[in-house]
Amino acid sequence: MDLETAHSRSVPLERREAILGAALRSRRAKLRKSWRKLISPGCLESLGPAASQVEALLSGCNTARDWLLPDQFTWLSSDEDFWGCLQAIALARKIEWRPAEVAPAPLSLSTFKKLTTAESFQLLCGRYRCPLNIAAPSELEIAEELLCQLMVTDRAKIEAGRPLDAVAVLLRLNLVGIRALLARDLRSLDSLNYFYEVPQRSWVPERANFRLLASWLCIYAQLLSLTNGWKCASL
Amino acid sequence: MRVAVIAGSIAAGLRLATEVDNLPGVDVFVLSGNAERRTSLLRWTRELLLLAKSFRPGILARLWRYIRSHKLIVFTRSFDDPSSISSLRSLQCEVGLHAANIIYREPTISAFRLGILNAHIGILPKYRGRSVAEWSVLEGNPTGVTVFFIDAGIDTGERVVLREFIPSERSKSVRAFKRMLFDCDARLYRRALQALMSPEFQHAKNDTSKGQRYYVMSKLFTGAVDKILRTGPRSGTR
Repeated sequence: MDLETAHSRSVPLERREAILGAALRSRRAKLRKSWRKLISPGCLESLGPAASQVEALLSGCNTARDWLLPDQFTWLSSDEDFWGCLQAIALARKIEWRPAEVAPAPLSLSTFKKLTTAESFQLLCGRYRCPLNIAAPSELEIAEELLCQLMVTDRAKIEAGRPLDAVAVLLRLNLVGIRALLARDLRSLDSLNYFYEVPQRSWVPERANFRLLASWLCIYAQLLSLTNGWKCASL
Repeated sequence: MRVAVIAGSIAAGLRLATEVDNLPGVDVFVLSGNAERRTSLLRWTRELLLLAKSFRPGILARLWRYIRSHKLIVFTRSFDDPSSISSLRSLQCEVGLHAANIIYREPTISAFRLGILNAHIGILPKYRGRSVAEWSVLEGNPTGVTVFFIDAGIDTGERVVLREFIPSERSKSVRAFKRMLFDCDARLYRRALQALMSPEFQHAKNDTSKGQRYYVMSKLFTGAVDKILRTGPRSGTR
């Protein structure tokens, strides 16, 4: 069978989009009911003034910000720090960003892979002070590595019942989720699906970083609200 | 051409060997490894159970033929163990056929003059990694199997021997579809060996820049792919 014939025998786009959209909506409805099992009242309280907004976003109607970033942007700057930016993105609020005058030096994948968990956490929070930059073309290798760490290393540890650093995993989930929001990458979205499906008690400890936990769920809720526009790469 | 089936069990090795050992000019060995480092008792119990499960007329005669001609080699250690690699080299095989659920290291791969062939259930270079049959369906791209020479990376081996497009339309679930694709391995290895022995043969290039690595699919998306497969394609549209 040639490529043309093979293409002609695949399921049409509109039907696939309808099935995918229905799956995302059903998961969003499930998340609306289940998020309180993942974020305890104490955890919610520790978020301070953001608590009510997290609650509203997770319990409310579908909300997602359509980030209109310049095509092939180089680097973005914001006056907010990492945690401020992350909270704004998670809550679908506007961030005041501007094109950066200078992009940071490229981060080599081999250097990144050599870092310890603590070093890597620090580097990611610093480099992606404006976390939208994880979707910059120059960051593709790092974004792919984060996805790979989630779906290969972290997944293997969870499935084998081995201990893992939940805070590092939550940071990766946030960054990969932001990339999914901006690049509409189905693989990145699916890594969040996977970690939602894993019984939380198997990897989220009692004392996880609540801000990262809440922002991950808020970003996931936004992703599930985007029922079309997902990229399906063609051969 | 000396060919070795690199299998996780004798039964799996014999299944592939049956398909390729009547090819003119092909001399086949069956290698069974012990990647999980099972004890002898566990290992042989498993081997016997799998042989019994896959029993069909003629299999015992074939098994005896391989044993008698010293073409059935049972490794006590994994294929990446130095002692196994030394044995593999001494066989002087041109091609290995992958039928074991393992990832190979470079010394094992280079023990074969041309390399180790893998029947990957996705179309390369686009779909590398895991759950690629499901991802191809979800993304509306052609499905099928690619036979290529592996390297130490994840589906990054540069030399593609053949690609066969196999539509999903007759399968009504992910499980059935993947089973159907996996079951094509023996037939496609046979075709790949025929191609390699042809004087006009040229590899296609697996250009990894034209594809992505995929990962294990979530239950949510697997359920969506199941639904897509149940509805099937509408003829004549894309």
